[in-house]
Amino acid sequence: MTQQEIIEKLRTMMRKSSQAQVNWDSVNADSAIASLGFDSLSILDLVYDIQQEFGFEFEAEELVGVKTVGQLATFLEKKQK
Amino acid sequence: MNRRVVITGMGAITPLGVDEETSWQNILAGKCGINRITALDTTDYKALNGAEVNNELLSVAMKARQINSTSDRTVDFAMAAAAEALEKSRLRNTDPAVETEMAVILGTGIGCNHSFFNAVNTYITKGVKGVRPTSVPRIMSNAISSQISMRFRLNGPNYVIISACASATTAIGVAYRMIKEGNIDMVLTGGTDAVFEPLVYAGWNQLGVISCNPVPEKSCRPFDAGRDGCVLGEGAGILILESLESAQLRNVPIRGEICGFGESSDALHITRPSPEGQARAIRNALKSADMKPASIGFINAHGTATKANDECESKSIRLAMEDETDRIPVASNKSYFGHMLGASGAVETITTVIGLEKGIVPANLNLDNPDPLCNLCFVGKEPMRIESPVAIKNSFGFGGNNAVLILRRYKE
Repeated sequence: MTQQEIIEKLRTMMRKSSQAQVNWDSVNADSAIASLGFDSLSILDLVYDIQQEFGFEFEAEELVGVKTVGQLATFLEKKQK
Repeated sequence: MNRRVVITGMGAITPLGVDEETSWQNILAGKCGINRITALDTTDYKALNGAEVNNELLSVAMKARQINSTSDRTVDFAMAAAAEALEKSRLRNTDPAVETEMAVILGTGIGCNHSFFNAVNTYITKGVKGVRPTSVPRIMSNAISSQISMRFRLNGPNYVIISACASATTAIGVAYRMIKEGNIDMVLTGGTDAVFEPLVYAGWNQLGVISCNPVPEKSCRPFDAGRDGCVLGEGAGILILESLESAQLRNVPIRGEICGFGESSDALHITRPSPEGQARAIRNALKSADMKPASIGFINAHGTATKANDECESKSIRLAMEDETDRIPVASNKSYFGHMLGASGAVETITTVIGLEKGIVPANLNLDNPDPLCNLCFVGKEPMRIESPVAIKNSFGFGGNNAVLILRRYKE
């Protein structure tokens, strides 16, 4: 899966688990995850959805330092390999 | 303190519409919301009929009211109906920084059924690690009232009352008392339920109280000799209750008044109802409103169409209304949208309030041949004009939970 494909998938998942009013069509690799309406609880849902979708496990702590959608996609790309 | 309690906004998500006006117009036109169940694979079920909310209409209504789905149908119904009720009451707050001092007291019979089933299903298929980390705040029944409190920034107390099929009526009664006694000026109240999920609906299927009539629109027949059980429905009904002083100060239209609430327990059996217990709740409601049976002009019955309920309710009405029984028209709304469990009391309160407002009550759909054991004065097969400004709304639940409201057309 390419990074762009991963970003597309993330956008769909984020839309589902975020309760914030966000213009999801404009979300791209540079979008800050913090600006997309996630808090310490809803990020658990996102991590769960990602694990179910991609079929591998990781701890939420591993995401320390991951600030943007693009960085998250890179993290998942590496995990995939 | 003994303040008057009025209704300033109502919202409904029903199998006959995703707002109160459409739902009412469809009931009055004699349309039936019961059909074959589509949400479930009913291959192994004998109870095949149900009154479902139209998903497309729900989705459009939620978008128009700027409500994001919580992924739990029970909560989504309540949120969408709450948005309508708040808008009608001119209390929909568009600025998230501004809070409104309003309580949220809601009823539900089954609660967050979809989230519960998902958690059970993933646990069985994937084990502990398959369970969503946010399952607890999704499953807990008070997620319904909490989500509404958060979404609309309503900062009064919020909680959920569970008394089976009496839940919404009990919730409205508790909300009424809170305002009457001066605890708070405004309460968002009502009930919600979404029952068409595999696990819980399988339980209903097995209980043997659901109609197996092959013709969906004829299957729910309250008080009819040919009835063979209830038909379940889903949806939500929400009302904004307010002290008369608060409504007058805000200068908003008043839709009706709640002037009494009575409750009781049968204290006998978990599913079999008792006429004495139910009659006690009706008498308590009359006492709370300081009224006699002579004041009552219409009864919106619980009328589930089970053999036991309709026969028992007929006895309890006669016990409580005494010599006035043969004068008071009785109707059940369940033939239109089934038994909406924890939402039924709220939606039926809404239809009663509109009925009093307009001086007309919906017909008893499917009451072709009244059961001689249900010896009451029934509304016929056409809507009926009513002059009286006062009505009773009965709701009785498994567990021997009885709740009765007295409603009145508003007059200064």
